[in-house]
Amino acid sequence: MRTLKTLVAAAVAVTLLAGCGGGEASPGASGDASAPAGGSGDTLVVYTNSNGEGRGEWWTAKAAEAGFKIEIVGAGGADATNKLIAEKNNPIADVAFGLNNMYFSQIQAEDALEAYEPSWAGEVDKELGDGETYWPLVKQAILLGYNSDKIPADNAPQDWTDLWTKDDFKDRYERVTGLGTATAQLVFAGILSRYQDDSGDLGVSDEGWEQVEQYFQNGSPAVAKTDLFARIAAGEVDMGQMPSSIIAEREKSFNVNVETVVPSVGVPLAVEQIALVKGTEKKEQAQKFIDWFGSAEVQGEFAQQFNAMPVNKEAEAQANPEVVDFFADLKQQDIDWDFVQENMGAWVEKIELEYMT
Amino acid sequence: MSSTAVRAMVRSPFVLIVGAVLTWFIAAFLVWPNINVLIATFFPDGSFSGRAAEKLFSSQRAMKALGNSFLLAVALSITVNLVGVFIVLVTHYFQIRGSRILFLGYASTFIYGGIVLAAGYKFIYGDKGIVTSLLVKVFPGMDPAWFSGFFAVLVVMTFATTTNHMLFVANALKGVDYQTIEAARNLGASTWTILRRIVLPMLKPTLFAVTILSFLTGLGALSAPQVLGGRDFQTITPMILTFTNSPTSRDLAALLAVILGLATILMLAVMSRLEKGGTYFSVSKVSSALQKQDITNPVANVVVHAVAYLLFAVYTLPVVLIVLYSFADGAAIQTGELVFGSLTLENYQRVLTQPSGLRPFIVSVVYSALAALIAVGGLLFVARLLQKYKNWVASVFEYLLHIPWILPSALLALGLIISYDHPNPLVGGAVLTGTTVILLIAFVTVKIPFTLRMLKASFASVNSSLEEAAAIMGAKTLYVFRRILLPLVLPAAAAITALNFNSLLDDYDTAIFLAHPLVQPLGLVIKANTDGAEGVDGVANTFVYTVLLMVITGVTMYLVYGRSSRERSRKKKLPAVPPASQVPGPGLPGTPVAGEDAAQPAAPVR
Repeated sequence: MRTLKTLVAAAVAVTLLAGCGGGEASPGASGDASAPAGGSGDTLVVYTNSNGEGRGEWWTAKAAEAGFKIEIVGAGGADATNKLIAEKNNPIADVAFGLNNMYFSQIQAEDALEAYEPSWAGEVDKELGDGETYWPLVKQAILLGYNSDKIPADNAPQDWTDLWTKDDFKDRYERVTGLGTATAQLVFAGILSRYQDDSGDLGVSDEGWEQVEQYFQNGSPAVAKTDLFARIAAGEVDMGQMPSSIIAEREKSFNVNVETVVPSVGVPLAVEQIALVKGTEKKEQAQKFIDWFGSAEVQGEFAQQFNAMPVNKEAEAQANPEVVDFFADLKQQDIDWDFVQENMGAWVEKIELEYMT
Repeated sequence: MSSTAVRAMVRSPFVLIVGAVLTWFIAAFLVWPNINVLIATFFPDGSFSGRAAEKLFSSQRAMKALGNSFLLAVALSITVNLVGVFIVLVTHYFQIRGSRILFLGYASTFIYGGIVLAAGYKFIYGDKGIVTSLLVKVFPGMDPAWFSGFFAVLVVMTFATTTNHMLFVANALKGVDYQTIEAARNLGASTWTILRRIVLPMLKPTLFAVTILSFLTGLGALSAPQVLGGRDFQTITPMILTFTNSPTSRDLAALLAVILGLATILMLAVMSRLEKGGTYFSVSKVSSALQKQDITNPVANVVVHAVAYLLFAVYTLPVVLIVLYSFADGAAIQTGELVFGSLTLENYQRVLTQPSGLRPFIVSVVYSALAALIAVGGLLFVARLLQKYKNWVASVFEYLLHIPWILPSALLALGLIISYDHPNPLVGGAVLTGTTVILLIAFVTVKIPFTLRMLKASFASVNSSLEEAAAIMGAKTLYVFRRILLPLVLPAAAAITALNFNSLLDDYDTAIFLAHPLVQPLGLVIKANTDGAEGVDGVANTFVYTVLLMVITGVTMYLVYGRSSRERSRKKKLPAVPPASQVPGPGLPGTPVAGEDAAQPAAPVR
């Protein structure tokens, strides 16, 4: 009882002090606990959505070996994008990487990026970035995968549109329940940009919107916190969307075999990028970091470690040969990214409001 | 208690000081940032457009989801009260065998919630769940997917949100004067009549407050509908979150949030009206502590016991399974196949040996503790004044303090960023973005409405004559506050602090926008390890973090509750103390009023 009383008394005393001072105490208190991020020594603050599954730790360690002290701040693609835009008047980050071209073009449109040409700019395909502010690092294919133990290749769908036009696949494919993720947005970019029509709603013909409606009506809705591969293993569904990099690992974990579909128009590629944040106080150091980060050697090591497909042509040699072969054979869908970027926000809104059931 | 004139109110220096600090805080952190974000949202080019309303009202899905959210909110307000009052009575009012064990079972909701809780229920009642498999064996014709849709969501959320009842209603129950009950019984009142006419009316302020919270929980439901709602019962929150994240659709998110916020405020107004004018403390001069009641009717007794233990099973099974599954591999968790031989410590090893180690845990504990203490400490004064002075100024302040309930936390965070990313005179010309303080401010503000509601309810059950007596004898305002009021509301304040602390530990929505890059709290680490790829390790990590958080929150609740209840039970074994000695001359300056019982809810002075 005594100790509890003392504890409570102490707690109350602290609270009263803090309560009286309210926020007044706050600006003062900030001094001791932290220097504002801008002045936090030599540490580069790096925003990314690509820090999961040990990647963040790997990059921090590798950067330290190369003499860069970095602090990675992880956030989902949309969150990182919104954060960079919200902070543009007083930026906290110095560098951002891992976001795909769609996200970076949004940030660039808000004027939150600084133009910089990295030393490795000549080793990558400029078309994959914007050639000025953000530069490509890693390619990811957005695929339709199916359970190959159950469906022989001859009977497999040939394209996304088969899912809702052929009765065999109805209710056998997983459809998304939200368009918040980059993967889902890219699937729709791939479908809708085939039906580009200036007179249609949001630049898409009625036929295009019909496809979206059918997609949602005939699919089995995704289940929160249950991976598509888990549902395939349980026999609930046989196919669904998947980014290329996760397939090998999931096949093993859930003990299923998956083959992917390459439609005649090709598959959409998501390209992860890197960029310098406008207004950083450590510009020179940040530029050096970008030069190091995208270099063939470093990208090669990363690709080897995480089964990624580097954009840097010289890094390809170090990447997993299976991955390189897969991408060599892969037909890339020709997507008008300016068109997609201009409309994606409105598309997501329309789909969420009108077509998702 | 009657409404006090504004003029009389501003005569007290205590009121003036608290009022000044409060005005500044509300202006700087509740009004200004949120006005900024709403203007940026609704007037993107300087002119208002009705686009958002038009889009939303013509969307069938949005309207259905909104309707579902409201349906859930109303239904939860009823079911949570039914179950909540029942478990409170079973553990604190009636003589039930093993009530302490029952209490522990019911208290399991203190320590966990969210998506994992929903998953826990799915392991049991879902189509491959344990109970479902048993039922299918008994009734081969039944549908294995019986546990889904509105019914399933309502059941899970009802059992998941009785926490406030267990803490606050139980607390208020301990303040009921036993003499009134005895008197009623002597006059021939039945158990049921006593309950309905004496006990429940005394609990009204607290019941109203927790009803508002249940309503709010229903409106904001996210994970239970996602996991169990199926095609037919999806709620509006996932849509709000998607639109908040998309700059071009943010006006839709804000509009939806404002609709939900207004509904909450309306509920608040109705409850305030119902609460008005009642007397919620014992008026007897010599009151005594509650004693547990026997249920005299043998049939009723058996039924209540049976239901109590059935509920115990419902509450505890998910926790047991979550702990078990946290040792299984991610694939087993998702396919729902638990093999006892394959349980390993691997998941814990992976989570705990990350390079970031314990640091995020410490950062979160410090932030959450500071925010919880500041919110409760500051609002103790405010709640007291709002409860005492009832006039239009007080009402305006009270409603302003509920602003954080109106907007989703991501928008609150964005508002703080755009308001304080440049030197701002409201905070003495400081720039707050990029500092460690801004997250603390956000944490404090999001906890204000809840803290205020519960503190106000707890002040409402304090007998005002104690205070008057002390004031007549010459005690100063602060002295009265410190020595008389504080000890009486301290148990509730401690409970609120603990709940605030627990709920902030794994916050992601606010922290993602406001955390200092070098001082990142746990929520961000959890997100990095569990999200994006909802792969094998990700799901397993979610369970591990849940169990680790259960340990932290369990320890918190033990520190606040376990110790004091043990003290209490030890006291009970002492020889009966004559009631008179439990009533010190209330408020005599210098007399330690209820000092020893600071942590004992049944303050004997009532």
